[in-house]
Amino acid sequence: MLERVLRLAIILAIFAALYIAYWKVRSSSRSHADEPPPWRDSRVLVLAAQVAALGLIWSAADYLWANFRARTSDIGLELDFRFLDQPSGISIADNPLNSNAAIREALTQGVRNTFLIIIVGIPLAVMFGTLIGIARLSTNWLLSKIATVYVEFFRNIPVLLVIVLTWTIFLNAFPPARISWLPFGETFIFNNLRFGFPSIVSGNNFGTFQIVVLLGLLAAVALWIWRSRLFDRTGTPHHRVLYGLGTFVAISVAGFIALGGPFDITTPEIIDRVYVGGVTMIMPYAAVMVGLVLYTASHIAEIVRGSILSVDKGQVEAGNALALNSFQRYRFVILPQAFRVAFPPLINQFLNYTKNSSLAFAVGFAEITGVIQNLFGQSRPAPQLLFILMVVYLVFSLVLSAIGNVINRRLQIVGR
Amino acid sequence: MIRRGNALKRTAGVVMALSLVAAACSSSSDGEAESTTGVSAVTEETTAGTAADTSDAADDVVVTQSAGGRLAAVQAAGVLECGGNDTLPGFGIIDADGSFSGFDIDFCKVIAAAVLGDSEAVNVTPLVAAQRFPTLQSGEIDVLIRNTTWTASRDGAEQANFLQTTFFDGQGFMVRADSGIDTIADASNTTICVLTGTTTLLNLNAVLGDRGIPFTALEFESNDELQPAFVAEQCEVWTSDASQLAAFAATLDIETSILPDIISKEPLGPVVADGDTEWAQAVNWAVMATIQAEEFGITSENIGSFADSEDSGIRRFLGLPISDGDGNEVIAEVGLGLPTDFASNIISQVGNYGEIFERNLAPLSLSRGPNALWTDGGLMYVPPFR
Repeated sequence: MLERVLRLAIILAIFAALYIAYWKVRSSSRSHADEPPPWRDSRVLVLAAQVAALGLIWSAADYLWANFRARTSDIGLELDFRFLDQPSGISIADNPLNSNAAIREALTQGVRNTFLIIIVGIPLAVMFGTLIGIARLSTNWLLSKIATVYVEFFRNIPVLLVIVLTWTIFLNAFPPARISWLPFGETFIFNNLRFGFPSIVSGNNFGTFQIVVLLGLLAAVALWIWRSRLFDRTGTPHHRVLYGLGTFVAISVAGFIALGGPFDITTPEIIDRVYVGGVTMIMPYAAVMVGLVLYTASHIAEIVRGSILSVDKGQVEAGNALALNSFQRYRFVILPQAFRVAFPPLINQFLNYTKNSSLAFAVGFAEITGVIQNLFGQSRPAPQLLFILMVVYLVFSLVLSAIGNVINRRLQIVGR
Repeated sequence: MIRRGNALKRTAGVVMALSLVAAACSSSSDGEAESTTGVSAVTEETTAGTAADTSDAADDVVVTQSAGGRLAAVQAAGVLECGGNDTLPGFGIIDADGSFSGFDIDFCKVIAAAVLGDSEAVNVTPLVAAQRFPTLQSGEIDVLIRNTTWTASRDGAEQANFLQTTFFDGQGFMVRADSGIDTIADASNTTICVLTGTTTLLNLNAVLGDRGIPFTALEFESNDELQPAFVAEQCEVWTSDASQLAAFAATLDIETSILPDIISKEPLGPVVADGDTEWAQAVNWAVMATIQAEEFGITSENIGSFADSEDSGIRRFLGLPISDGDGNEVIAEVGLGLPTDFASNIISQVGNYGEIFERNLAPLSLSRGPNALWTDGGLMYVPPFR
């Protein structure tokens, strides 16, 4: 290490000497005679400091990398990615992944499971957290105290504990599969391994029906835009939800009747331990999701509360002066302004949520961290797998940040 | 004129800067070359350092090095350094008073009794799974007896020398006693709890996949979550090494049964470092003596009654004098470097294989199974002691 620093110092000294010589030659001509020497020239000094810092960082990184390479070649560790094509040997619960499939496919399924935690959980956490945040400011004493206790409870215990707690509650609150709880006339299944829900199966003309539904959706969007524009132009109440939803439902129902019942509803049942019909969700997934949402919502609630309090009191009074009721005041006056403040810290919570999802494997849900931990145990090379893991979380985080930034920009007041 | 001069100077400046960059580049590439050699020098230093450390450690035994390495070193030190487990009931666990006990620990005592004549001259170092081979390679321990499975890659890549298997284990399945599952074939479409990152999971997928038994593997990071999941019937089946299942079954409040199916071979036994045949042989024959003793029917209780045995095989085994026909009494020397009475020390101080098994594993309701003597249809078979 010392050797490297010395070498770096010598190279920099040569640079400095050459530059000083250059300055000497230059300042001998009359037109440049008034230039200060380099050691008193602030531009040169700032640049030199930056070059030296960069050189130090580079030397340190190079040293560590060379050490790493020497060590890995000592113990004969290959640093390539060919192992990705070998059969993984592992399996993932309730995932069709074959245990002879390549490692890259196992990793893909891990990323998919992480994605499933994020895409469902973040909207839930935002909605729930917002409600709790509003509840904390409620004038209803009981409601605000309940919200306060909730926030203080979940905000102050480690997230891993929350997940294991949810899992333990689910594990013991729901019966084992052989005596599953079948509420609502056996249309649902709840046991401590899986939850089953009714679902749609395609019948006659299902493809056509899908097109009809899509057209209904397009018509609804068109109406929504038209009503919004009309409102902006003339101030006529837009009722865009009514118009849009009405059109969509009307077209869908008409299509359903005209096509003679293009889909059926199946309910799940268990026959000889096999789940038939409906859709099932594995309990650890639900437990992880609920745990993460409860935890993240407690943080979001505080952000929402703070943002609402940051809205000027005059805005509330203005709302009151316009005779808006409490819902309208929140919907049209306070929340739009509060969300502008809340959004940047919310993005942070989304990123935390994403990273916390890596704790899911403690309770048996194999998302990407779980899959990679599993592969470590099967003597797969750790450096490459860790690298992949970091890239995966980096990509998730960057995409979330990018989406968040776009939304954030649109939320900001357009300056004039 | 002035302008041209300026241009000239500017060109000169550019050329100079370029040459500087070139110099920097070449010097940096030199630097790289140097740095590579620098690193290899560092590596050599570390290797040299380790070598020096090892020789330091070996300095204590340098006198006996020529007389046969580790066997003599252990005898000179007067204590056997044994690597073991401290968390596995029945095999290696730390007691309330801080002493170690268990099946594997007893074999440490067997070796101490054979080599040193004192079964208590053992110092057990508790090791986690990942530490065991590095510790063995470094020479910190003389022998490793820590429910370690003998595999080709460990024999090869880990520079380990596996000796007589003391326990033939295998991956098994545990179910609730009232589950109605009698063999693994009944377990189709069940959920099977397994630890993540283990060969157990690989065996499970491979074997049940080959047999066409559909199942859901529910993978846990530790037994802290796996055990409640099994108790709450989240999974109907728990798979692990059969001996470990038996150990856990003894701690559960529910009635369980272990299925007869064993889907993998897990031979567990003592391990020494490669490169010291004399030491390996001494350890091996010490361990095998317990099995031979059971075959002879010699126990720690009845060993005294064999002092005047007529059986020359038993007399030779126990190091008792044998008449040569001319009225001279001679004691057979087998040339293992062990005392001639090593077997009787082992049996009187620790016991034979059956006694060790009964003492440690019978309380876990483990049956002998493949660990019975070959004369009883098991796999315990040792070469003759002559």
